[in-house]
Amino acid sequence: MTADHGALTSERDLVQLLTPEGERLEHPDYPLEISQDELRSLYRDLALVRRFDTEATALQRQGELGIWASLLGQEAAQIGSGRALLPGDMAFPTYREHGVAWCRGVGPENLLQLFRGVNFGGWDPKEHNFALYTIVIGAQTLHATGYAMGMQRDGAEDAVIAYFGDGASSEGDVNEAFIFAASYNAPVVFFLQNNQWAISVPEERQSRIPLFRRAHGFGFPGVRVDGNDVLACLAVTRKALQYAREGQGPFLVEAFTYRMGAHTTSDDPTRYRLASELENWKLRDPIERVKAYLSRNGLADAAFYESVEAEGAELAARVRAACLSMPEPKPSFIFEQVYAGGSPLVDEERAAFEEYMAGYEPASAEVGH
Amino acid sequence: MAPVAIARALNMGLRKALESDPKVIIMGEDVGKLGGVFRVTDGLQKDFGEDRVMDTPLAESGIIGTAIGLAMRGYRPICEIQFDGFVFPAYDQIVSQLAKLHYRSQGMVPMPMVIRIPFGGGIGAVEHHSESPEALFAHVAGLKVVACSNAADAYTMIQQAVISNDPVIFFEPKRRYWEKAELDADTPLAQAVPLHAARVVRPGRHLTLLAYGPMVKTCLDAAKVAADEGHELEVVDVRSLSPIDWPTITDSVRHTGRCVVVHEAQKFLGMGAELAARITELCFYELQAPVLRVGGYPIPYPPSRLEEHFLPDLDRVLDTVDRSLSF
Amino acid sequence: MASLKQFRLPDVGEGLTEAEIVHWHVKVGDVVTQNQTIVDIETAKALVELPSPFAGVVSELLIPEGATVDVGTPIIIIDVAPASVPLADVAPAPLPEGESPAIDDLVPSIPAVSEMSAGRTANLVGYGPRADSPVRRRQRQVPVATSSRPTPSWPSVAASVAAPSLVSAEVAVMQDDDNVVSVLAKPPVRKLARDLGIDVQLLHGTGPDGTITRSDVEAAADSSRQAAPTRPLPRGGEERIAIRGVRKATAQAMVNSVQTVPHVTEFTTIDVTRSMRAVTRLRELPEFADVKVTPLLLVAKAILLGLERYPMVNSTWDEPNGEIVVKHYVNLGIAAATPRGLVVPNIKNAEALSLPQLARSINALAFTAREGRTSVADMQRGSFTITNVGVFGVDTGTPIINPGEAAILAFGAIRDQPWVHRGKVKSRSVTTLALSFDHRIIDGELGSRFLRDVAMFLEDPASSLLARL
Repeated sequence: MTADHGALTSERDLVQLLTPEGERLEHPDYPLEISQDELRSLYRDLALVRRFDTEATALQRQGELGIWASLLGQEAAQIGSGRALLPGDMAFPTYREHGVAWCRGVGPENLLQLFRGVNFGGWDPKEHNFALYTIVIGAQTLHATGYAMGMQRDGAEDAVIAYFGDGASSEGDVNEAFIFAASYNAPVVFFLQNNQWAISVPEERQSRIPLFRRAHGFGFPGVRVDGNDVLACLAVTRKALQYAREGQGPFLVEAFTYRMGAHTTSDDPTRYRLASELENWKLRDPIERVKAYLSRNGLADAAFYESVEAEGAELAARVRAACLSMPEPKPSFIFEQVYAGGSPLVDEERAAFEEYMAGYEPASAEVGH
Repeated sequence: MAPVAIARALNMGLRKALESDPKVIIMGEDVGKLGGVFRVTDGLQKDFGEDRVMDTPLAESGIIGTAIGLAMRGYRPICEIQFDGFVFPAYDQIVSQLAKLHYRSQGMVPMPMVIRIPFGGGIGAVEHHSESPEALFAHVAGLKVVACSNAADAYTMIQQAVISNDPVIFFEPKRRYWEKAELDADTPLAQAVPLHAARVVRPGRHLTLLAYGPMVKTCLDAAKVAADEGHELEVVDVRSLSPIDWPTITDSVRHTGRCVVVHEAQKFLGMGAELAARITELCFYELQAPVLRVGGYPIPYPPSRLEEHFLPDLDRVLDTVDRSLSF
Repeated sequence: MASLKQFRLPDVGEGLTEAEIVHWHVKVGDVVTQNQTIVDIETAKALVELPSPFAGVVSELLIPEGATVDVGTPIIIIDVAPASVPLADVAPAPLPEGESPAIDDLVPSIPAVSEMSAGRTANLVGYGPRADSPVRRRQRQVPVATSSRPTPSWPSVAASVAAPSLVSAEVAVMQDDDNVVSVLAKPPVRKLARDLGIDVQLLHGTGPDGTITRSDVEAAADSSRQAAPTRPLPRGGEERIAIRGVRKATAQAMVNSVQTVPHVTEFTTIDVTRSMRAVTRLRELPEFADVKVTPLLLVAKAILLGLERYPMVNSTWDEPNGEIVVKHYVNLGIAAATPRGLVVPNIKNAEALSLPQLARSINALAFTAREGRTSVADMQRGSFTITNVGVFGVDTGTPIINPGEAAILAFGAIRDQPWVHRGKVKSRSVTTLALSFDHRIIDGELGSRFLRDVAMFLEDPASSLLARL
């Protein structure tokens, strides 16, 4: 490795507006005016999203979800960038963007439908300007780029944000998305949450240089932001979106963060990483630093925290109840909406399936819907 | 009007589509100034602008992936894949994304897209330029797959594919691009044969030949020769590979009692396998002989000096016809 | 009142089937809150902490530490409503003897649709196996539709193409029986047979390789047209049918024959490929242009030649007179199944007929029998009988001698079978002959010689004729 490598990853590359200790910093390129109410609101978002995520993990452990992909540790990256979006902007998530979904007004209980296996997406992408979760790594970055090209042709003054991770940065689709976005000057912000791990493979395996620097090779700006700093994520994403809206083209934001939990509930991180690493990152917890700042500056009192906690408990109970009472889809649901224009083959097989099912009707009559 | 070549008919159909709907756009490698490697998009960029006829970076997954995004935004992209063998870098976007979005969104995200793929061999090309991957797409739920065989169909079918709200994989018989036929450009689209209908292109009563794309002409030639030998072969242009127009096909087979399927693609698990299985199911009691297939061998597409041995020709079709008639 | 809830071991990692209970964090009597860690389990993938789905008091730990249990097994019972005592400091009140509160399962929320298929249990999102769900078929409430002909259920999209014309598919379903011989027939011929109510398994094919042709089916249909219409079998109960007519006569004759005549039956299985070729050849000859040539013709000819050589086989035991009557004429009987029952008309002076004449006589006899017009005279004074059980698809049987005769030959189905022919295993047409004879007249040696000569003729008709000339 060359001596340059150290320079490439120097601390000054990291945009930070709020230290882990809760100290407010200023950055010349990313000034942020923010009210007390907004700060408290950000804290509330972070805390509630974490509470929801905890409940979803528990529901999986209790057999209610097939799997869950926890966002633990990435709340600031998601809330900060999500709050930077304007209503007309369009977001393309992976399958872990529960915090962004929260910002886009998608009900947390709707997110569980995919993980409980009752459908592949429980919301209308158009209603929320929030695309369906995409499981295939990196595929959505091309959709985001194409969508941005559409906005461009429509003359819209909106932008697109494409979420992906450090692992996805190795995918051909992500690199092709960079090329198309640059080539057509598409209004898209590539928001890379570098949570250090692609399941068990560390970031070093994906890239020899800091990921944000990749953007320069494609011909557009790239910035690394403290992904556990909600203020920095908000400020940088806001600026990147504005840059895109103004017709200056794509922008890469690398949110440097940490996946504090397992990749999913099926994973076991103790097999590949040290507990000390997690302990280190706990010191940089995205929620604690906001709490420290609010408390230190007298912007929130115990009553505020208690009210947020109570709200979290209510949210958890609501989500749990919604999960347990989620209606079981009818068997013939599997045949629906395969084609917009219908298909005689699907219709035929569906009719045969329904006839087959009807053969067992009396026995299964007890199944209520 | 004067006879028109298939490539030209496609060009005319694309022009109509661009004129009819401002949301229709064309994307692909070299589709702009060059007019595509087969000149199918010739002159369209000049007339409709670079925003609607887009030369893309050289990345197939990128073409299809961004087209999906454009479709989400309300556009109707027509993507050109330069050659059959180059579609595979985009296969993931086609199979995992394009085909499934309408389904996984419960109908909220339609994908009105066309992917044009020149397919088949017989042009003396290098590797990856002569393949017939249609079954790999017809197998995928959520995609519709068609193949045109003549200029008149090319003209209407491409327009019908563009107005379809489902993703359509549109196979073009590249070795027949320059074959000309009469074409009535004035018939309203609504009066044309529907996109997913098969068509009897030559009636006969002794045996049904099923073909699509480049093999339709081969089968018509075979039928002419067979007629001299006293056998009247009915040729059905299958046209739509997914969904398949079973009523038209079974009508023909019930009438003739014998059926031979012809395609360039490898026989093993090719379209002929599905056609034979379903025809056997639907016409079991009318069949005087098992459904037979003529197609490529289970080998990669061979070097072009030898491709004539791989591609079904008139003799191979007629040999199989004889086999069927001997039952 | 206690309210007990059970927590079953979930599948925590996409398709896991079991886990080991490593460590309980709680003990009976502990108060637990919802999502409080209650147990560590180790799966094939990871060591995992399970949070309690309920708040309450631990009522029972069902699985000890160290045990491995299947997904779906209840592992803990929690009392979520411990009797009106503050939750914080209560031990569960012991239940009065004999009283057991209902235990609610966690997650009964997913209906049990899939529970009925292949033993899957749907109580958890991840489906684990369950010991008490054997792999078995579900009981169908509605029988599988026996539509004989699938039809595409969608209309043609081609405006110019009419919907397929569908022939009525309301035909009886054929009962397939494992014992029935497979015959060769094209699907359209089978369809025709089904539509005409003919069982192709019972037909003898005259097409290439013995395939049943359209005309075979039509001929069979013609011959069965006279048959009494079949009526549906009444269900249950019994039916009484008067014994009379042919049935009564047959019964009498058979009983008499078996009781008075010491029967011996001998069998021989032979390669009749050459006979089959001869049949084909005969059909091409102008002399046979207007007559149906079947293997039965050659069997009849073989019998006639055999009887010429061994006249004692063509005789009668005259008990009252204490004599054996050797006949110098052959009234060759051919057993026929007719609408009226079994009849055995005979061809008078068959030994004097040329082969074409014999063929015509057999045809006429069969036709008359099927028409039900066989006269008493036709059936009297028989001297030898052939019964062609092969038309029913069976290989052989032990025929009962027609009273007044000395022997009967049963002729079985002809099948293509592996056969050692000139030192190699070849596919040959093979059949079995069975000869029953009256041991009072015919000794084993004579019977055997006669049967062997008949067999030899059928194995090689040409050379047998030559030998005779």
